Amino acid sequence: MVRILLLLLLTFSPAALAAREVVVYTGRSKALVEPLIQRFTAETGIRVRVRYGRDAQLLALLKAEGGRSPADLFWANAPGALLLAERRGLFAQLPKKVLARPSAFVPEKGDFVPLTLRLRTLAYNPQRVDPGILPRSILDLPRLAAFRGRIGWTPGYSSFQDFVSALRAERGEAAAYDWLRGMKALAPRAYTGNVAMLLDLASGRIDLALTNHYYVYQLKYGGPEGDFEGEDEEEESPPRGELPLALHPFAPGDPGNLALFTGAGVLKTARHPDAAQRLLAFLLAPEAQRFAAQRIHEYPVVAGVRTPAYMGPASRALTLAPRVNFAAFGDLEGTLRLLRSLDLF
Amino acid sequence: MLALPLLHLAATAADGSPPNALFGEANLRLLVHTLALAGGVLAGALTLAAPLAWLVTRTDLPARRLATLVGLLPLAVPGYLTAYALLALAGPASPLGVRLPRLEGYPGAWLALVLYTYPYLFLALRAGFARLDPALEEAARMLGHRPGSIFLRVVLPGLFPAIAGGGLLVVLHVFADFGVVSLMRYPTYSYAIYRELAGAYDTAAAAWLAMGLLTLVAPVLWLEARLGGPSSVHPSHRNPPRVRLGRARGLAQTLFLLVFAAGPGLPLVALLAWAGQARSALGPVAGALLRALEASLPATGLALLLALPLAYLGVRYRAGLERIAYLGFSIPPLVFGLAVATASLRFAPWLYQSVPLLVLAYAAYFLPEAVAPLKAGLARIPTRLEEASRTLGRGPLETGLRVLLPLLKPSLQTALVLVFLSGLKELPLTLLLAPPGFDTLALEVFTRAEEAQFAAAAPYALALFLAGGGMAGVLFLLEGKKR
Repeated sequence: MVRILLLLLLTFSPAALAAREVVVYTGRSKALVEPLIQRFTAETGIRVRVRYGRDAQLLALLKAEGGRSPADLFWANAPGALLLAERRGLFAQLPKKVLARPSAFVPEKGDFVPLTLRLRTLAYNPQRVDPGILPRSILDLPRLAAFRGRIGWTPGYSSFQDFVSALRAERGEAAAYDWLRGMKALAPRAYTGNVAMLLDLASGRIDLALTNHYYVYQLKYGGPEGDFEGEDEEEESPPRGELPLALHPFAPGDPGNLALFTGAGVLKTARHPDAAQRLLAFLLAPEAQRFAAQRIHEYPVVAGVRTPAYMGPASRALTLAPRVNFAAFGDLEGTLRLLRSLDLF
Repeated sequence: MLALPLLHLAATAADGSPPNALFGEANLRLLVHTLALAGGVLAGALTLAAPLAWLVTRTDLPARRLATLVGLLPLAVPGYLTAYALLALAGPASPLGVRLPRLEGYPGAWLALVLYTYPYLFLALRAGFARLDPALEEAARMLGHRPGSIFLRVVLPGLFPAIAGGGLLVVLHVFADFGVVSLMRYPTYSYAIYRELAGAYDTAAAAWLAMGLLTLVAPVLWLEARLGGPSSVHPSHRNPPRVRLGRARGLAQTLFLLVFAAGPGLPLVALLAWAGQARSALGPVAGALLRALEASLPATGLALLLALPLAYLGVRYRAGLERIAYLGFSIPPLVFGLAVATASLRFAPWLYQSVPLLVLAYAAYFLPEAVAPLKAGLARIPTRLEEASRTLGRGPLETGLRVLLPLLKPSLQTALVLVFLSGLKELPLTLLLAPPGFDTLALEVFTRAEEAQFAAAAPYALALFLAGGGMAGVLFLLEGKKR
């Protein structure tokens, strides 16, 4: 009798109930997060409550909340936000078994993990542009005088800024300045969002666009609509509209192919750190990684996960991407200063 | 509730020094853009709204109530969705099958915002026309004034409170808009604020810029005070004679059709085409709809309750007092939301991340949308009616309920629709303040549109449109059956 009572007490004690829940703050779109979360809950019985927003808003909210934050996990859309959270000391140390999962991009401190990868790329409209004339390096892009006024870019968008940070770190401040000034001379059309830019690219309003690879696949092959694909599901999403969009990879190792990671860390103030770690482990498991590849069109960070044929394997994507020091993404201020000096931000 | 965000704004700004760019050339350019757009949109919206309002109140236009509904429907479609639909309709995968011209820059932003904001003036003017005493116009006619002169010297001055109130809302919306101007590539001042906050992670700089925006709002409020003061026009107790349109009837109906086609019509067609490709279940849509209603319905009621005394005090006693309602609305919603979160964490942690807090924030933020029409309505009611009631021994409360409220009905209706529709579409405050997992229709639409999943967004957007349009329909189609 006493044992039953004890058991009941344990099952319904606040601690036990609390372990059945995890609160996530994420800068990613609900459309990309929801299917994974639902699967996690179905598998573990742990309820996940998500606050959606942008990385910056959520970091501002976490700052306002301080020690009273109800959040357990911060899941960011960009390396810059993760490094800022790290600098502010928001993240707790992660256990080795979680840190060992990704094949790259694990920070030295071991306080967050990468979850997916996207590549910077040059998108073009194949009905208007012969890819043969496109340069092998993004640094030669300013030479394409014929495309004056017909190149789209997103100077206010985090991924673009991360690219400029990497360029500064890898090629030096002067090279980054020259490249930006050269691009500016081509009168590129600035957009605040990638989707609007690519819709303009498809409709022939511009011919080239500097973007992230997965937006192009998203528009061509559809997004993560529908249910989580089971393990045995090998089917790839069929192409839908025939949008005239194509990707031009630069030469292997070129800064134009920069790989950017999304990722997450467990907060120091987390009330359910164990459940949050379980969610991280789930997101790094092959099944969730495969979902990210097939439905979101981002590259997996763990080895041995199949990607759709049109994306090519993750290993090829990583060969294309330049090796960049982690710290490069930490100096957002310097990048913004450079962009402002050229009146681009 | 309204002072706290302001204090927080000042405190945040004090945390950092003003950004160098605050008065830089780039920001001045954005300032010029903002003013040019606000002025242009105000003129355009007035030009569109005035004839439509006149047609539904002063002519024998058939199906006037339906026409009224058509006139306010643009408010039921989020502005960014209209902009996305226009973009998609201009592309090779146009859901219409026909490619429309791609609008952008000033003309694109101007057109999209005129079509999105004119209902504020349309509703205000409709109430204004309805309260205008036709006896004055008759008197002017007997004194030998020609129609043009009557309009300029009698009708127009009587409409000033309505124009000022509705126009103020239009201007504030243009100031605050980010979705439309960014998709149309016409950066305004709100873009600079967004850039600091979302691009540079700099809340202090964003706060400085938000205060810059407040200095822009101040002269607009002053202008509204000059134009919108109480006037001596007597209220009407009878329906004005309706102008017979005769052959112009068809023309008038075509005008409404055109406005509808260009306003909510285009995005609706795109949404219906996209919804045809969607394969989403109804359950999630219903859940998101219920959550949206759970927040915006009580917020609407609360905003009306708060707005009534404010508008009354402002009109009857201390002109200008009601203007504090506009303070929140003049701060970018992201900054406002962060302020409410901070205040709640400090003073009422038990309220933090609860639906009641969200309701409070909605009500405080959208207060001007209730105050503006109520103020215009009150300004049309002569004080002697209240005095008579008080002389007859009725208390202030009873006077308010039995004399003022019935006369205010059209204004209350307008206020209700405006706040409710704004609440339904609201996103930045919801993201910051709602309990995690409290995902409303607006969030479901935005997250999908942002990822270019227009087909998946369509069912949610249609539900949003139907809920907003449905509420407006109930209010405006059923009104005045007894007349």
